[in-house]
Amino acid sequence: MTLQQARHQSETEADSSERHTAIGAEDVHVTYDDGTAAVRGVSLDVKEGEFFGFLGPNGAGKTTTIKTLVTLLYPTQGAVRINGYDTKADPQAVRESIGYMAQETSIDFELTPRENLRVACRMYGVPREERADRIEELLDLVDLRDVADKRAETFSGGMQKRLDTATVLVHRPPVVFLDEPTTGLDPEARLRVWNYFEKINDQGTTVFLTTQYLEEANELCDRLAILQEGQITHTGTPAALKSAVGTETLTLALDDPSQENRRRARNIVRQRSALDTTAIERTADGLRIEADNARSATSDLFTELSAAGITITDFDIQSPTLDDVFLTLAGEKGEGKDSADSEPTSVQEVVR
Amino acid sequence: MSGVTDERDSIDGDAAQRASGNSLATDARISFRRWLVKTSRNPYVTFTSLVQPVIFFVLMAEVLGAIAGGALAQSLSSDVTYVTYLTPAIIIQSALAAAAVSGIGLVDDMETGMFDKTLLSPMNRSAMFLGKALSEVVRITAQTGIIVGLGYLLLVLKPGATAAQYLQTGLPGILGIFVVTVIFGGVFMAYSNIVALLTRDREATVMIANLLTFPLLFISSAFLPLDVLPGWIQTVAVVNPITYGVDGIRALMLGQDVMTVFEVTAFGGLWNTVVPAIAVLVGFNILLGGAAVALLKRASRAEVQ
Repeated sequence: MTLQQARHQSETEADSSERHTAIGAEDVHVTYDDGTAAVRGVSLDVKEGEFFGFLGPNGAGKTTTIKTLVTLLYPTQGAVRINGYDTKADPQAVRESIGYMAQETSIDFELTPRENLRVACRMYGVPREERADRIEELLDLVDLRDVADKRAETFSGGMQKRLDTATVLVHRPPVVFLDEPTTGLDPEARLRVWNYFEKINDQGTTVFLTTQYLEEANELCDRLAILQEGQITHTGTPAALKSAVGTETLTLALDDPSQENRRRARNIVRQRSALDTTAIERTADGLRIEADNARSATSDLFTELSAAGITITDFDIQSPTLDDVFLTLAGEKGEGKDSADSEPTSVQEVVR
Repeated sequence: MSGVTDERDSIDGDAAQRASGNSLATDARISFRRWLVKTSRNPYVTFTSLVQPVIFFVLMAEVLGAIAGGALAQSLSSDVTYVTYLTPAIIIQSALAAAAVSGIGLVDDMETGMFDKTLLSPMNRSAMFLGKALSEVVRITAQTGIIVGLGYLLLVLKPGATAAQYLQTGLPGILGIFVVTVIFGGVFMAYSNIVALLTRDREATVMIANLLTFPLLFISSAFLPLDVLPGWIQTVAVVNPITYGVDGIRALMLGQDVMTVFEVTAFGGLWNTVVPAIAVLVGFNILLGGAAVALLKRASRAEVQ
């Protein structure tokens, strides 16, 4: 995306353009010494208080981008401004105003949560009289007070990640960067850390999160960008992205899969305006429905079906996966070959 | 906490927006305390780096001590017991064991991401490594104290032995021993960190530390006077930092010039050994320390690597 496009985007979003830019990147390129162009012209304009998602497959350049935003790398070309400070000209000011959680869990495993937080408080110069309160507050935030004096090496991956979350917040940074924070966590642990991120965001913190999971981006983010091979190929709200990508699929198995019964069920589905049905197909034992909002409208549909005396024995809802997203976008990209500088992308490269 | 840092903390009113900066000394102390706590959490590591030299001490004193008398009488004097002669070698061995694993903490921090995390904090980077080095200095000093005491015990407890020759220079001598040991430790701390920064691998850092400990001790003046050892060992010993560490401490213990790798007569008595020994060790520190600092700077520089 070019800078002009980025500007255009922010102008069209009247609400967010009134706020200050927390994370600004202008045509950032990062090329490693061996010639690998990991980031190839990324522009970003994340507003204060936004929850911004950065989505992409492995090797797309997400980590390189986030490291460039947090001053661990400098852009080979282009510029990054965080909270108004240029990362290259004033890295210290940037560092003091951000929290960064790396992909690997960066805590001192030999220390307890309380000690980890104490060290972090000291490192960021949190005034001594505020330290104790701040530490307790953060222990509560991530539910680690009960184990506050046990060594972190004995914790589960989820608990360690929660402690990591707390340690990046000791100086109350206005902007927090999270690099694939839930990769490797079990579903329950993932849900828990999501809660903390939402809490932080509710308190006004700008959150920049990279993820491989579409579901995660959808759940948490106000806006997201998709990164492929070092370039942003799509920016928008999760809803806009999903509709661009495809629909959800609801598969129903009926108690009585007779012609007549399936036709009745199909008519009910068609008549329902709440379900944005794009396609209905009769299967051997029921129906296969494609609808943008299948997940949210399903329970209403079930009520109606049962009111009509149709019993459902089994159902399944499938959302487009990230693979679907990338395949769809890669297809679009391939078709739009004539559009200036975008290079054709083969499916194999994307799937890799 | 010093008044200066308190003042700086309180000046920074908008802590919610920008974290306050610490003084260099505060930053060094933060890092120092963290590493000291980590060391105390791992008593096993300190214990092993002490136990090995202690076992060595007792065994060498018994085995080599039985035959070393002649060699000692030939190069020094017949009053010098082998335990006294060996103590500096064991001090150096234990300092070496502690210093040579210095890089492991660095690799661990790099692997867990703590390294990046500290780089991103407003902490002063030099202070952060200084603090870590100081915690290792504390450990080396403590181990040295224990071994000096142990050597004395070995002499006192052994029937027929005398502690008369042990530590000729008294309390100032002990302080001198600490100084030489710490300067010596610096050489191998730097070395270990160079290996750590080049390999970025825990196993490699551990293995190279282990590999080094033994052979270097034997190709130095640690266990026997150099003039009774083969010519090639005498040659290698000249460039071996262990020779200078051992000779420096030995001169302080025996109160006389013991250096044979080169002859210095300008300072008189034991200073003819201590001064050149310290000078050579400082040289090694500048050389290896400079390389380690350069590598560390490269590792922490925010550039595309």
